[in-house]
Amino acid sequence: MEICKLENIRKDYRMGELVTPLKDVSLTVNPGDFIAVEGPSGIGKSTLLYVMGLLLQSDNGTYTFDDKDVSLLSDGEKSDLRSKKIGFLFQDATLIQALTLRENLIFSYNLIKKSPDLKRVDELLYRFGLDDRANFLPHQLSGGQRRRLMAARCIIHEPSLILADEPTNDLDEHWSNEIIAMLQQEAQRGAGIVMVTHNSRWAQLAGSRYRLDDGVLTDITKEEI
Amino acid sequence: MFMLIWKNISRRRTQSVLTVAITLLTIFVFVMVMGIYQTMNTGLELSRQRLGADAVLLPKYSTADSGDLLFTALPENIYMPAETVEQAKSLEGVAALSPQFYAQTLSLSCCEPGEEARVIGFDPETDFILAPYLDGGISNIKENDMIMGGNFDDDFVGSNYLALGNKFYVPMKLQPTGTGMDSTLFMHIDTLRRLCRESEALNTEYLTNIDWREDDPFAYVSVIMIKLQEGVDPDDFAMQVEKSGMNVRCVLTGATISSLQGQLEVTMRVMLALWLASMIIAILSLTGRFSALAKERKKEIGLLRAIGARKQQIFGLIIGEACTMALIGGVIGSVLALLCMGPVIDMLKEAFKLSPSVWSTDLAVLCGTAGVVLAGILGFAAALLPASKSASLDPQTAITQGEVA
Repeated sequence: MEICKLENIRKDYRMGELVTPLKDVSLTVNPGDFIAVEGPSGIGKSTLLYVMGLLLQSDNGTYTFDDKDVSLLSDGEKSDLRSKKIGFLFQDATLIQALTLRENLIFSYNLIKKSPDLKRVDELLYRFGLDDRANFLPHQLSGGQRRRLMAARCIIHEPSLILADEPTNDLDEHWSNEIIAMLQQEAQRGAGIVMVTHNSRWAQLAGSRYRLDDGVLTDITKEEI
Repeated sequence: MFMLIWKNISRRRTQSVLTVAITLLTIFVFVMVMGIYQTMNTGLELSRQRLGADAVLLPKYSTADSGDLLFTALPENIYMPAETVEQAKSLEGVAALSPQFYAQTLSLSCCEPGEEARVIGFDPETDFILAPYLDGGISNIKENDMIMGGNFDDDFVGSNYLALGNKFYVPMKLQPTGTGMDSTLFMHIDTLRRLCRESEALNTEYLTNIDWREDDPFAYVSVIMIKLQEGVDPDDFAMQVEKSGMNVRCVLTGATISSLQGQLEVTMRVMLALWLASMIIAILSLTGRFSALAKERKKEIGLLRAIGARKQQIFGLIIGEACTMALIGGVIGSVLALLCMGPVIDMLKEAFKLSPSVWSTDLAVLCGTAGVVLAGILGFAAALLPASKSASLDPQTAITQGEVA
């Protein structure tokens, strides 16, 4: 069964004039998929992720998540899905400023009302090279360190869908490779990955590639081959 | 969420201290105003209920201030001939009257209060002033007994007390009255007269213009307390005294209390206005602070929504932070105000001629609780709008447009 499915999704913004970043987008994400969405800046790639992450309601089309039409879900039900089934890796390094790195990870468990798995917290801190910074506050870290923590938070609850927006931003070669490897491992675990990037080098490592252009998503996996 | 609320407060220390300080000052002023008003008003009300006498006759020459006489324990050594009592009995409208004889202790006397205290000699046969405050009644008072006002230490009761060079047994003390009676010593009128005749100290010139070695204290009284019959207009009674040709001044206790209450009300109105102004300033500044806080954390709120926080949780987060900081300020402000209340009431007691005895633990608990509750309401009211706005924030807009804190 697919994780989520977008059918003919349209999204308009009215900012003085009408802007339509998503005109007719269809995409199915199955367990184990690692999908890269490419396209130039400002074309609507992030909008696509916000729609898929239930943060933005589409103006037209059907979006089903876990076999449920999301347009029929209440705000609370969407929040539950986001906390339990979706992992976000935003373009900006956004963290909870008043919590230490360790507390930022533990907080994710609070939202899903599960007692924190401290062993997993420590493992993730170690895996992303943050174990010696566990008690630092986000403002005491570099942009790259913050992004690594976001990656850890994104997978801590083992989500079924991971939405990664330019996940290698602010990262050096080593950590960029690590993050991509982490996404590949999550796909092997059975999660569906949708990664937005303008860097074709990272996109080539995905299982399938799409290009967003003029509000339409085109499968370019075979073209590139 | 509780963890996040607490961490947000404790790790944004400067902002939190500022917010707590605003609430602290507002609640401090509120508790002070409430405490002072309650104390003064209760004091006046008690005085009105318990004073007993509707009118007091004083020697005409006396310059004693009626407020001092009724509400403070300042010694007033004033005397008039004892025949005045008989004259007063013939006045129309008198239901009961009782003479009193005044003297004072000396500050340098052994085992006495540190300052001069008023000593009142009362007539147990006619007294209606003290009897309501004495649990055991007044009929059993013996010549060498002394009754203490409500402010004296309980330890004195049942023991001997040295005053005016004589040893007295203290069988009981008065219940607190909220007036100068609380700091006064009482004894049989004849005992006090005898002491005046025998005591060298009480003959010292600065204490009285009468030399008790030449004049007989038994031929004098200090004041006459009068209870009027039901329906008698106190002003008409005062007029009657004026016209009677008696060598006395009539002081109406009701008028004195009303005058004090008038002074108090004006002062309280000014204080209330100042407090209201400070409350409005606090609400505005706290609303501004919480709005700024919510705006500053717009991106973080977007993140919380994105990782699964519900609208109610965001609302609870902002309200929780605001109320926690307000309650901290409220508790500290209330405690500080309660600590300052004693000295402030002592100061005001001088100005308003009231006894501080009505400032009780119950009143302190009431004022303190009211302060803390108000602080909670203040925090909630000030954070309501920012919390609602934050909760209804579109997560995507918050993430993409919010500023990083």
